[in-house]
Amino acid sequence: MTPALPLGVAAATLVVSMMLGLRWSRGWLALVVAGALATAVAAVLVLAGAGEWEWRSTFAVGGERLHLRLDALSAMFLLLVGVVGAAGAVYAREYWSDERYPRSAGRGRCWWSALFVSQAAVLLASNGLHFLLAWELFAVCGYFLIVLESRRRDVRAAGWLYLAASHAGTLGLFAFFSALAAQTGSWELGPMREQAALAPLFWLALFGFAVKAGVFPLHIWLPSAHASAPSHVSAVLSGVALKMGVYGLVRFSGWLPLPGAAGWVVISLGAAGALLGIAFALAQNDLKRLLAYSSVENIGVIMIGLGAALLGAARGETSWGRLALAGALLHVWNHGLFKSLLFFGAGSVLHATGTREISRLGGLWRAMPWTAGLFALGAMAVAALPPLNGFVSEWLVYLGLFDGAMGRGAAAWATMPAAIVLAMTGALALATFVKASALVFLGAPRTRAATRAHESGRWMRAPMAGLAAACVALGLAPGLIWPVLARATGVWHPAWGTAEAPGPFGTLGTVHLVLAILMVAAAVGLGRRVHPRGLRRAPTWDCGFAAPSARMQYTSGSFGGVATPWFALVLRPARIQRRPRGYFPADTLHLQRVPETVLEHVIEPVGRAILRGASLARRLQHGRLQFYIAYVGVGLVALGAIAWWGDVR
Amino acid sequence: MMPLVESLLRLLVWLLLAPLLPGLINQVKAWVAGRRGPPALQLYYDLARLWRKGVVLSHLASPGFLAGPAVGWVAITGAALLLPLGPGGGGVSFRGDVLLFVYLLAVARFCTAWAALETGSAFEGMGAAREVSFAVLAEVALITAILTLSVQSGSVTLATMLAPAAGAGAVLLAAGLFAVLLAENCRVPFDDPNTHLELTMIHEVMVLDHSGPPLAVVLHGAAMKLMIFAVLLVQAVLPIGTLSPVVAAGWLAGGVLGVTLGVGLVESLLARFAFRRVPLLLTTAFLLCLFALLLAWKGGGA
Repeated sequence: MTPALPLGVAAATLVVSMMLGLRWSRGWLALVVAGALATAVAAVLVLAGAGEWEWRSTFAVGGERLHLRLDALSAMFLLLVGVVGAAGAVYAREYWSDERYPRSAGRGRCWWSALFVSQAAVLLASNGLHFLLAWELFAVCGYFLIVLESRRRDVRAAGWLYLAASHAGTLGLFAFFSALAAQTGSWELGPMREQAALAPLFWLALFGFAVKAGVFPLHIWLPSAHASAPSHVSAVLSGVALKMGVYGLVRFSGWLPLPGAAGWVVISLGAAGALLGIAFALAQNDLKRLLAYSSVENIGVIMIGLGAALLGAARGETSWGRLALAGALLHVWNHGLFKSLLFFGAGSVLHATGTREISRLGGLWRAMPWTAGLFALGAMAVAALPPLNGFVSEWLVYLGLFDGAMGRGAAAWATMPAAIVLAMTGALALATFVKASALVFLGAPRTRAATRAHESGRWMRAPMAGLAAACVALGLAPGLIWPVLARATGVWHPAWGTAEAPGPFGTLGTVHLVLAILMVAAAVGLGRRVHPRGLRRAPTWDCGFAAPSARMQYTSGSFGGVATPWFALVLRPARIQRRPRGYFPADTLHLQRVPETVLEHVIEPVGRAILRGASLARRLQHGRLQFYIAYVGVGLVALGAIAWWGDVR
Repeated sequence: MMPLVESLLRLLVWLLLAPLLPGLINQVKAWVAGRRGPPALQLYYDLARLWRKGVVLSHLASPGFLAGPAVGWVAITGAALLLPLGPGGGGVSFRGDVLLFVYLLAVARFCTAWAALETGSAFEGMGAAREVSFAVLAEVALITAILTLSVQSGSVTLATMLAPAAGAGAVLLAAGLFAVLLAENCRVPFDDPNTHLELTMIHEVMVLDHSGPPLAVVLHGAAMKLMIFAVLLVQAVLPIGTLSPVVAAGWLAGGVLGVTLGVGLVESLLARFAFRRVPLLLTTAFLLCLFALLLAWKGGGA
């Protein structure tokens, strides 16, 4: 079977669902799930070795014939689109239901289908013009999903910022594709590694795709958009939409000839983004903003892998280059899975308590044990802890970096620092996710809202359970997916695909499986050892303090307060403090907040300077005719002078 | 049949010998202070007694409070089995096992911190926050040390990495790893394992609310972690893999004993540092490992 049939079915069901979604919620869900299933079938067919699929239309759209292409690389991303698209649709049935959001639920369903279709179109398009069309449609769908709850001011601001940043990136892509079309003489895309003159275009593509992927200094739109959007939308934005930027980078770095510095720049961007992204995440108090910054970190990890692969490719180093690339590609899947899971979990918390502030939550495990357990699993996966999937991909990236260092070539000067940064990032991610999971779900409820929390229903739990199962499966059986990774790396670099699986990949899976079984057995065993002896319950001992209160617990600020100051130079935390004064101090105040540093300290000053310049220039435009005549006179004299002196010379 | 027996023997060595190290450290401290001190086997008695005791749980604790120590203990045991025991070799050995080793220790850290935060106690929150934050610097130093060994030996498998001597940077590497050992195992000057009731603790304060068998599991895990770091340090520095089995076993045992004595001496002669100086000390450890890495880089080519 070729992927054409399932893709056709998927397109048909999704387009119908887009049209029916406004009113008919049940039918919409069935159609979207069917469409996602068909998409996944198409992707799996290609990944299982059916070979590349191409299709050209006989008719033209916008003056160009349609050219669709599905190879192992785009199929990897397409499968992720399908999985998260279906999970989010199921989740939204309860989370963004018609009863709770009568005004926006229907719209949300339509845009969801549209986003799904446009993402798939980006992945399939093999013509620059259509790629741009699909890309723009995808960006706009994202905007309308972010501002579903447009009554709220912060949502509108976040949506606006997203739209502005997204279009800045699209501008780069317009320049990229039109320059590409001008130099090659055609909008057709495909491998063009031998045309060395195209190499500088890589920088345009890097800018355009990096904005969408949220690569560090260009991530400014990401935290507020992910935090303010409805949680199922945050999940798809973070889990899938960012990956479209990664897809663009991987795709075109594979197809284009590359400038010599490409690998160095990408790996440096990745290392900076990974470290600073997670430092920002640790400092956050807003649960969803924390997850958003952790996405910046994970994109950084993917960029480290891609950068190492670029360095390896430039030096003809097959052995470690492909490990790093395989790690980066696997991390695309892994991050898509566990970050969607975590955003769904955060959405359940928001649904149950009405707040995203970690310092107002606590003790939720009693009311919502399912969410707590699944969120904890996701937290362990994102902290790259074995035996879960996050570790497998980071392990591959590490192996690539270590092998690169052992090669003792010039590339080692990039891979050694990157490995050290990756270690620091991993430990910070652990701190961040201990904080995110334990302060929210453990201890005593810090506010009344947290006391009155309730478990979310079946429709919200099922997609979380499904994603968690996928995280566990990828962690325990990494050997099964090596052929997929090999095919995808083979598409990126034709010489890399045929290589054998690295031997230990299977061993790692076995070790993971044994560890997982032993961990469960030990937990159950210790529980059984303890229970027959009678569990006594008592207040927390706390060194004998008799009246512990929930307000005494460590908060998110105090938990992050040890490591955050190490990064104060970049984070620039703002603090408002009024110390207690006198013998009977009446009031004190301590407020601490980490700003959106790049936005507030870099972009906004630059924007203000531009506006100031513009308002200065506007003084020339005052509507007084005699001055305009004077301008014309001065202009004529200047022109005359130029002509005169030019002529004389 | 033989590999199974070997693995069991290796496991028994780890499980049975580990609780001896804290006892030896206490002996050294008592000897320096001129006291009699607790018997060297005190931890064994404590573990046996705790294992038989009942448990008092906080009202706030979820099932994760019991699962945390159990999972953490399995992770530490797994890390121990990955580490080769001189001539005894490692339980499982594959390319890249060293990274699994580092991340298994991270699993244990996650579980300890998680279980600490179960109780909603301010003290335990404090301990957990410090543990996970200082571990950032310790892990960086550890990975740098491992990178040094890999560049030196051209391998990412623990067994081959640890076999030869550390080369030119051995002293730097030993100093760096020793500092990491002290930090990761919460010894002086980073932490003081003797006191419980202070605001200055890291590890001990995280297990304040554990009792009975879970506490036994936590203590045993901590002892194994100390032994893991001691064994790693000795094998990283000494050319254990190049000696004959008997001599190698002797050197390994002597080395671990030496490290234990060193910890005891440091603990007797040094006061605990102020917290603001802990990051500085760990950064120094990282820099030592970094210089060792540069030396390995320069030296290997010659």
